[in-house]
Amino acid sequence: MDFFSIGLTLACISAVGGILWRVRGWRTRGAAVAKPGPGGPRQGTFRAVWRGLADLVFLRRTLRQGFLRWSGHMLLVLGFLPLLVLHSMDGVVTRPLIAGYEPTLDPWQFLRNLFGLISVFGLILLFWNRCRKLKKLSVAQDWALLAVVFGLLISGFFLESFKIMSPGDFTRMTDEYFVEEEPGELISLKAYWAKENGVRFREFMPTAPEMMEFGAELHEDHCAGCHAPTSSAFVSRTMTALVPASRHIADQGRDLFWHVHVGLAFLGLGLLPWGKFFHPVATGANLLARGGHVNSRADTPPLSRGLGLDACTRCGQCSLHCSVAPIHRVMGNADILPMDKLSDLRRYLGGRLSPARTGALTEGSHICTECLRCTEVCSAGIDLQDLWMASKKALTEAGRAGVDGEIRKRTAGEWSKELGSRDLGRIGSTGAGLADRAESFWGCVQCTTCTGVCPVVAVSEDPSRDLDLAPQQIMNLLRMGLKAQTLGARMVWSCTTCYKCQEHCPQGVPVADILYELRQLGAEILRKKEGRS
Amino acid sequence: MKYAYFPGCKIAHHLPDYGISVEAVCAHLGLELVKPEFTCCGYPVRHESRDASVYSALRNLALAASLGLDLMTPCKCCFGNFQQARHQVDHDEKLMYRMKNMLKEDGLDFPATTRVRHLLQVLDDNLPSVAGAVRRPLRNLKIACHYGCHALRPENITHFDDPLAPTIFERLIAVTGATALPWDLRLECCGYPLRGRDDAIADLLVAKKLAGAEASGANVLATACTYCQLQFGAENTKRPGTIPAVPYPQILGLALGLDPDDLGILPGDAVASWFENA
Repeated sequence: MDFFSIGLTLACISAVGGILWRVRGWRTRGAAVAKPGPGGPRQGTFRAVWRGLADLVFLRRTLRQGFLRWSGHMLLVLGFLPLLVLHSMDGVVTRPLIAGYEPTLDPWQFLRNLFGLISVFGLILLFWNRCRKLKKLSVAQDWALLAVVFGLLISGFFLESFKIMSPGDFTRMTDEYFVEEEPGELISLKAYWAKENGVRFREFMPTAPEMMEFGAELHEDHCAGCHAPTSSAFVSRTMTALVPASRHIADQGRDLFWHVHVGLAFLGLGLLPWGKFFHPVATGANLLARGGHVNSRADTPPLSRGLGLDACTRCGQCSLHCSVAPIHRVMGNADILPMDKLSDLRRYLGGRLSPARTGALTEGSHICTECLRCTEVCSAGIDLQDLWMASKKALTEAGRAGVDGEIRKRTAGEWSKELGSRDLGRIGSTGAGLADRAESFWGCVQCTTCTGVCPVVAVSEDPSRDLDLAPQQIMNLLRMGLKAQTLGARMVWSCTTCYKCQEHCPQGVPVADILYELRQLGAEILRKKEGRS
Repeated sequence: MKYAYFPGCKIAHHLPDYGISVEAVCAHLGLELVKPEFTCCGYPVRHESRDASVYSALRNLALAASLGLDLMTPCKCCFGNFQQARHQVDHDEKLMYRMKNMLKEDGLDFPATTRVRHLLQVLDDNLPSVAGAVRRPLRNLKIACHYGCHALRPENITHFDDPLAPTIFERLIAVTGATALPWDLRLECCGYPLRGRDDAIADLLVAKKLAGAEASGANVLATACTYCQLQFGAENTKRPGTIPAVPYPQILGLALGLDPDDLGILPGDAVASWFENA
């Protein structure tokens, strides 16, 4: 087994196995999100297929988000797809389909350079776009995908360039296809190729016109059937100027870049099912499956949900436009922003998310305001809104209902015991520090007006059972510095924030603001407990 | 008049009809709405972090300020949180310092003068012209106004109306030709803030509220807040036959003679059927 067949086998195993594994994940993860809800009428199949195709082929959703990324992506696809089909798979596509195909004949030699150049240009635009707007949001795999494709394209140019210069390749060809009938023929042919096609022989080449003429004749008879002038490989031929004439490294360069080029192609194929390398498959499928829809649908079937979870291209638009991005700015939890939340949600649904990250995901999931914007801007057409709403439900059902849920898992007494053993200063203070300030309660005469006007107290049959403490009792405990005793009280967490208590307090105690502060403190304590603060 | 329109997060997906009716009514009355890309007002996250909530609010105000416009929102909770945020920075130097720094890093100036207006206030400011534009008075329609807590209280921060005896909503109902009925629970909470946090109490609060509105003899319950409308609307769906909640701009829009379709009113909606029968 040589490098090529070992590499190809490994890459194919990785690609096929990985794709099967990912497609299997669509079903399992999609089913794990939550049960689909009821939905409205659907558009006709023909229309859906047409609109999905238009999204896929013209990258319409990407175009809506800006011309730079769209043009970069469009150029890359327009250049790369023909290379992939006609060049990398020429043994199974081009040669059997097109009579007389030779990679060294035009138009193929010329087109290879043209498509390569278009791809490189597109890739540079994409790189620029990422540097300009998305640097902060980018992770290793974003740069890795760009690097692999860039390396593949550039190494291809270098490989062709060294092949043009390689005397070894010339000799291999003449050994096989050229029989010298009289002495002087080979040297004439060599001289012709050195001058016209850029082959760099170690020995000095004659340049006499009659020899050139003879070489040209021989070239026509023996080579031209399979070889267009190398000048039509306009990029690679130009690049030969990069190697100084004094350095005879063409054979070594050819071998090196052959391994680099083929190796990167295998690497790309092998990585296809991993991370965002999979997006050409999953995103394409998702665009078709969404059929041009921009709105969210609650009745998305599990398989489509699972596909959506996989279809992210990490273009960052959702996170750039996220309604709660300012909250992320203050709180710093990456899972507040859609792009990172989606990848953590995938891991969570696959059972591969650490407890600490699950805490972060839960917080992000509850801070999301379901404003639909990420879904509207998603260039992969993922129904993020549906995923957020369904996963919030799934997380809650799994006992992860956010700060409220965590607090309610234990009684007020249990919280008071845990927090009471701590130094009060270490419970911390947050917000305006109202609860810690004696002045806040100076006026309180325990008149129970706050409790009397509270609508939550009013609808409770048994307030001491449902709510633990009444508002005026909380104020009294705080006045005595017993903050720990109040933090787990149901009244604090079931306050409906109507501000009647505060508005009606005859002594001006900011009751509702204090209850807000206690909740903020509870949230902060939990964040610290989960190692996020 | 021109405002930076702040619809809030819930309208786009959860209550698009409310947004449609707000924009239709404003367009009809010559109130120009500019729509920059706002972010969350910070109201929902106030339970978790004061800084996050205040910064979210100020960032939007700064965005409106950069356009040289006042901000107008149809949501009482967004309105309340903007006022809260402004009050908190004004009374906490350290908070002000942190907020100014963050805004500066984001290339925004501290919004010192931008005013926050609720939709009802904007309409009330233009009451004579609103009244003059009414083409089809809704006589015989009896309405229970639901005020919504976060604009009303605490008054020393929100500056919306008299917190104990507000009149703005009744004035705006009166210009439509409908009658606003007095009722005991008009200033009480709808219960939405406990949705997902304590559903049992949220259910009790909304049921009590709707029962109170129904007992007043009203045909519909008028709201002027995204969250209140969501809460009542969900209850209407869950328990058919309860007094239907209708966003105020839909009521006003009908009185202005606008097409129900342009107001996001669906054929089966309570206000549509009342309108057809009237």
